Amino acid sequence: MKKLTYFPGCSAHGTSEEFDSTLKLALKTLDVELEDIPDWNCCGATSAHVMTENLAYALPMRNLVLAEKLENTTMGIACASCYQRMKVTKVHMDENPELAKRINTTVVEEGTYQGTVDVKSMLQYFYEDIGVEPIREKVTKSLAGLKVACYYGCLLTRPKNITKFDSPEYPVSMDQICEALGATATEFDYKTECCGASFSISNTEVVLNLSGQILEMAKESGAHAIVVACPLCQSNLDMRQPDIEKQLGVKYDIPIFYITQLMALAFGYPASQLKFPKHIVPVEGALANIGKIDPEAEKKIKKPIKAVEAESEVE
Amino acid sequence: MISLGSQGKNTFMEAVNIKSGANVLECYQCGKCVSTCPVSQYMDFPPREIMQMIKLGLRNECYMANSHWFCLTCSACSGRCPREIDIPAVMEAIRHLAIEENYVNDSKKVREIRKFHEIFLEMIKRYGRNYELRMMAEFNIRTRNLFKDVHLAPKALLKGKIPLGVKPLKSAKAIKRMYAMAEKLEKKK
Repeated sequence: MKKLTYFPGCSAHGTSEEFDSTLKLALKTLDVELEDIPDWNCCGATSAHVMTENLAYALPMRNLVLAEKLENTTMGIACASCYQRMKVTKVHMDENPELAKRINTTVVEEGTYQGTVDVKSMLQYFYEDIGVEPIREKVTKSLAGLKVACYYGCLLTRPKNITKFDSPEYPVSMDQICEALGATATEFDYKTECCGASFSISNTEVVLNLSGQILEMAKESGAHAIVVACPLCQSNLDMRQPDIEKQLGVKYDIPIFYITQLMALAFGYPASQLKFPKHIVPVEGALANIGKIDPEAEKKIKKPIKAVEAESEVE
Repeated sequence: MISLGSQGKNTFMEAVNIKSGANVLECYQCGKCVSTCPVSQYMDFPPREIMQMIKLGLRNECYMANSHWFCLTCSACSGRCPREIDIPAVMEAIRHLAIEENYVNDSKKVREIRKFHEIFLEMIKRYGRNYELRMMAEFNIRTRNLFKDVHLAPKALLKGKIPLGVKPLKSAKAIKRMYAMAEKLEKKK
């Protein structure tokens, strides 16, 4: 049994509750026990670093300090935005002890920051600490027939010098996990384009535009569904999808799954435990493709071959 | 007004470089950031122009532009920048300096973006965590846009997508103290 310190993030009790609960199902099968950080606080998300530098470091630092009190040396974070804030804080604090000392004056009761806990996104944890093969071994119900576009968003792999994970341009970790589950990952060029993120409420027009392009490209890649590992991406692509369709005058009907929902499904958990009714775009149509394999159509899908660091490839 | 000649020293660029840890002078104006940026079409000045404006010492113009408010910190630009300049950090430095020096862009969009972030930070100060429903309601009230996204509410609430309440932190006091300490640090600089 492996142990992992877990930071769920605020949305795990709200908009992304299905991510949190299916993550726990998947980890149960993979024999990982989660240990919550006691009385964790919000990481500050986008707003803290937009408005002020000190708070943007202080809020994550309190969680890091609390995590250091637990025995585990790795902290897994479900939300991509929390992951980014926590990792940025960790990297900057470790690089600059002077800064760490200054910020630590704001974290009074919890203790001194040591820098002993590693920070990983759950996707990174699945890929690096568990591995694609052990995930494949646990599959009892293959997802063969389901075509998915794996969408990573901005925060899971960028900036490269902070995350040090996968490719900032064309990541493949989620694709490989989906393929291990039996699904087919399509060649999807908008893997790391931004969905509009925190503008969901304050600048909705931008989100409709950016998320609309992602849906369009996913549809064009031949995918039945999009797979994500970020709560904000999920809610922008799912909850805003009817508005996007209305604005563009098209019908996408692409459900947005969390990677953990598909993992739990392939590990044999019944659909009733996977919180599908929470989705705004119904999932049934896409899931009906599982088990249906059409050899002719199969040939037409372009498959991702390998990670390319397409640093010079800009349109 | 270009202040470089008269003062002989570009103090604005120095401030941005120190705050961001980047060296703006390294930018050779290729424009890759502009073509990469998902929101450059909404900006008064796209990133490439902002970089040049910093070099020219155009402090007021940089502060008053909406560019740094529209930056989503997606880091697509810096990943592709051939000079590897941390452009989101530069945008953030301009924003923080503008806030510190009380420059206010009063356009409707920037006002709304700023209001959203302020409300979000208030939620954390009060509860230690984000209270999604209340945040959305407060945003609508304070931007005088009562019916924004109301059409999403029935489905989202019924499906339990957005919960009605929030479980506040046990050590909510620690967060309030953190806010006070962070403010003190801000003033010390």
